[in-house]
Order: sequence, then C-alpha cells, then structure tokens
Amino acid sequence: MIVDYIVSALGLGALYALLTIGVALLFGVLGLMNFAYGEIILAAAFALYFFRDAPWLFAVAMAVVFAVAVALLSERLAFHPLRGADPVTLMIASFAVSLALQSVARMTVLPRAQGVPPQDFLAQRVDILGARVSVRDLVTLVLCGLVLVAVAYLMGRTSLGVQLRAAAENFQMAESLGVKGNRVIASAFVIAGVLAAVGAVVLVTRQGAVSAQMGLQPMLIGVIGAVLGGMSSLRGAALGGFILGVGTATLEALLPSDLIAFRDAFLFTALIGVLVVRPQGLLSGSKVRVS
Amino acid sequence: MMVLVPERARTPLILSAIAALVAVLGAVGGPTVQRVAVLALVSIVFVAGLSTFSANSGIMSFGHVAFMALGAYTAAFLTIPAPLKATLFTQLPEPLAFLRDVQSSFVVAVVVGGLVAAVLGLATAPAIARLTGLQSGIATLAILMVVYNVLSSWTSVTRGSSSMIGIPQATTLWAALGFAVAAIAVAWAYHSSRSGLQLRASREDYWSSVASGVAVGRHRATAWVLSAFLCGAAGALYACFVTSFNVSAFFLSATFGFIVMVVLGGYLSLSGAVLGAAVVSVLQEVLRRFQDGQFTGGSALPAGVADLLLAGVLLFVLIKFPLGLMGARELGLRRRRASVKQKEPVEA
Repeated sequence: MIVDYIVSALGLGALYALLTIGVALLFGVLGLMNFAYGEIILAAAFALYFFRDAPWLFAVAMAVVFAVAVALLSERLAFHPLRGADPVTLMIASFAVSLALQSVARMTVLPRAQGVPPQDFLAQRVDILGARVSVRDLVTLVLCGLVLVAVAYLMGRTSLGVQLRAAAENFQMAESLGVKGNRVIASAFVIAGVLAAVGAVVLVTRQGAVSAQMGLQPMLIGVIGAVLGGMSSLRGAALGGFILGVGTATLEALLPSDLIAFRDAFLFTALIGVLVVRPQGLLSGSKVRVS
Repeated sequence: MMVLVPERARTPLILSAIAALVAVLGAVGGPTVQRVAVLALVSIVFVAGLSTFSANSGIMSFGHVAFMALGAYTAAFLTIPAPLKATLFTQLPEPLAFLRDVQSSFVVAVVVGGLVAAVLGLATAPAIARLTGLQSGIATLAILMVVYNVLSSWTSVTRGSSSMIGIPQATTLWAALGFAVAAIAVAWAYHSSRSGLQLRASREDYWSSVASGVAVGRHRATAWVLSAFLCGAAGALYACFVTSFNVSAFFLSATFGFIVMVVLGGYLSLSGAVLGAAVVSVLQEVLRRFQDGQFTGGSALPAGVADLLLAGVLLFVLIKFPLGLMGARELGLRRRRASVKQKEPVEA
C-alpha cells in the first residue's frame, strides 16, 4: 500500500515536472506563457492513436515527430511575427493558437474521443518489496525521470544549454555576443515538443483515450507548476511541478470522496494565494533567473 | 482646454446610438436576426463591464466570465417558478433551502445577479490589487477555474453538468437595449471619475502615478468590483434570454469570444470594446452560417471551422494592430496630437 502510493506519487510528480518544464522553458526564453502547449501534447497523442497498431516504439517516435512539427509550426506562424510583444499579448495569441489547433483537430481527425488500447505489458503488476506495483506507474516514473535527467544534462553541460540560458537571461545581450536568436528559439520549441511528446505517451497510457480537449488539463498543470516554482527558473519550475504532482496524489489519497470533485478549486485557490504572497514563485529567490 | 459638458457626454451618446442601431436592426430583421441582436446587446453589457476594469487599468482579465456565470445562476434561482424549483433542487443543503421559495421580478434578478458577482469581486479584489501583467492574467484565469469547478461539481445546488432549465424569458430586445445603455453610462461615469482618471494614470506610468500619490491598488479594486457587477448583470440578462443554460457556456470558449471582442476593438478603450462586441457578434453569426453551409451551397462544413476562422482573425489583429481598431482613443473625443502613439490623449 505504502510502496504503491510512493511509486504513483513519485511518478505523478515526475510527469508534472516534465509538463512544467515545457511551459517554463518557453516562458524563460520568449516570455511566452504557452496555452497552446496542450495542443502540442494533443498532436503527439494523435500520433499514438494513429499508429496504435504499429510497434509501440515506432508510435512513440512518430509522437515526437508530430509534436515537434506542431511546435515549430506554431512558432513560425504565430509567435515569430509577435517576437518582442509583451507577455500578455503573447498569452492571448497562444490562446488563439490553442483554439485554432483544437478546431483543426476536431474538424479533421478527432470529432469525438477515440480509445487507444493499452499495451499489454503496461497493464501488468509486479512485486516490489511485497507490494503489487503496476508497470504503468513504474514506466511513468522511469520514463519521466530519464527525460528530466536528460534535460538537466542538456541545459547544464552542452553548448546549446548555455546558449538557451543566456538567451533567457538577456536575449539582446546574448544575440550581440554571437548566440543565434532564431536557432535558440527554434530549439526551445523543439525541446518543448519532445517533452510534450513524452508527456503525451504517459498521459495516453494512463487515460486510454485521446480527444480534442485532452490538452487542457496538462497545460493547466504546466502553468500552475511553473507559477508555483517561479516562472523563470527551470530548476524551480521542475520542483514546483514535482511538488504539485506529489500534492495531487496525496490529496487524492486523503481527501474524502465527496470533496475530490473540488480538487481543482483547492489547487487554483492555492495558486492565487501563492501569486499574492510571492509573485515570483515559491521557490525562486528574489532575483528571477533561469538555471 | 476648458471641459465642455457636451464633449464629455459625446462618447456615451455615440456608443448608445451604436447599441440602438443594433436593436433597430434586430427589430426589423427576422427572429434569427433578433436573437443575434439581443445576444450582441448582452455582450455590450459584458464588455462595458470588462473594459471598466481592463481599459482603465491596462490589465487584461481572463476571468470575467466567472462573474457572468454567477449572475446567470443567481438570476436562475430568482426567476425559475417555485413549483419547478421544488422538483429541480430536491437536495438543497439546509442553509440554502430558502432559495426554493424566493421569487423576484426580472429587473431585481438582474441587479441581484450583479450584486452577487460583485461580492465575488470584493473577495478577490485584494489579490487583483496587488498583481500586474502576466501574474494578473494567470490569477484571473485561476478565478475562472475555481468558479467553473465549483459550479460543475456542486451538483446539489447548481445541478452540476445538467442544464438549468425553465427560466422565464424576460430579456426582450428593448430591455436588453435599456440595460446596454445603462451599462455604457455606468462604465463612462467611472471612466470620467476621479478614480478612473487616476487608474489610467497608473496604466500609463505605474511608478510616476505612485510617486504622485495615486493609491493604485485601491482604484484597481474599485474598478474590479464595479466591472464584476456589470458582468454579473450581463450574466443575468443572458440567463433570462436563453431560458436554459449549461455550466459549459461559462468557460474558455466564452472567454475567448469576449477576448476577441475587446482585442479587436482595442482593449484600452470603452468605445473599442463596444464596437468590438457589435462587430464580433455579427462576425460570429456569419461564421456560424458559413459553417452550416449557407454560403457554400448547403453542404455543411465540419464543426470547428467557425472557431478556427475566429482564432485566425484574432491572431491577425494581434500581429497587425496590437492595440485594436481604437487603440486607446474614445469615439467623439478629439485627439490632441496626431503623433501620440500607444498613449491616451489628455482629455480633461
């Protein structure tokens, strides 16, 4: 029971951290609070549905391709012409992009929710320390954990990571020191796309279905987690998402069943509270930075 | 320049004339046109409320639909006939049981709807007074999420995801026009008030206004509560027109529709918001008919085309005219200097 809870809480925490980083990365580099992030996840989820009969790894690869393509396309068509606009304008624009992509999905391929049969090996349970832990939760934990480590390595140890952090710190200064702005922004969208695809893989296996509206919940999670953790610090954002995930799992385990329906109301009230008390986020210092 | 009384009254008169034009078009058109006209007038009440806050403070709000929802639910409780209420709400919790027997006239329901929304505005005002920019955008969205979550989950009181039904239709075309004119007058009264002027000063330059002794937080809170009242009244009008509604009418797609209106018209200007409401209401109807296939020889297009085109229009406006049609100007007021960019001309 306890092991079961720990694995599922850590798994949810890792998943939420992943979703949060995708939102926080674009915010750090562009000042863009991307509401269309949910539709990037939708694109990946659609790929998983479309290739549901193909080998699983191929479907996952295609999910990454779809998500990255949609992310880059939205950058080129909507956010590129708005570069340098203030964050609220960008937020409204991403709202429009989100609605447009959702409408396209509803018009063409997903007029209603579609089931995606779960992979057989994910439905099994294994014994760990005497508890029956579902493989699904374990895969969530391992997959998200690996991706988080990869992102930490990318941001900390590679040239691209240094450039991304520099661009987030001061875009103009970074550009005048030789960082190629367009390339850095494009790669931020690519990374966000990959993160969204991994998130979609986990979400689809958990929900067993895809629908045009499925992006809303993970996008909101990303935004709340990013605000909780401090919007411009990736490490803080990841931690914020992780805390949100563990908190959600705990609320679900502890809240009496007639209050579970109001979980979101508690979460968003807490969010307003955090914004009022610490507008820079719970976990970031007074100086907002990306690291 | 001396303040001339006719000039101060010019903007609300022009805007009321626009509302009257919408009403007259609705009266001479068929029932479908009339329906569009009433909804457009309700939208004008709403955007007058929204722009009371966002035009004067320069802060965009994504949460005002929450006030509209409260107004609509309040009006439903006040006007659904008592016998029907007894069958609809069998499990009302004890403190709210009086709701089964209350009954009021249409006008009272609209005012009380606005007041209930204003109470929520009062409760959230301390948070709004402190925040700007993106934080404020997210906080207002969070308010919408909380209200939506409570309305859709508190089944014993709000019927959850089932519709509220049986509200007597009371919002006639002329009643809607009357409320629209009243809302424009209230919004303009705030705009020209001392508090409105000080709030716009903080919009133009926050630190200068603080240094000049403007209590920005207090004026923001005032505008926020007043705009909550107007939006709540708009919700009540909406409920009393459509006679049955679902909680999903007060979520992101409604928010999006109103955002298109104020951004298209110019979210820093009351005139822009009212113009935007009128234009976008017509546009939405045209797009709906286009989607139904009335312009393409009867073959219906897949659902979603209208939303897609609306999103396209919004993106185009954001990219080409970030301040909308009106910028920060108001109809009927002369601009002092032609070169003023993104700044509101001095009016008083």
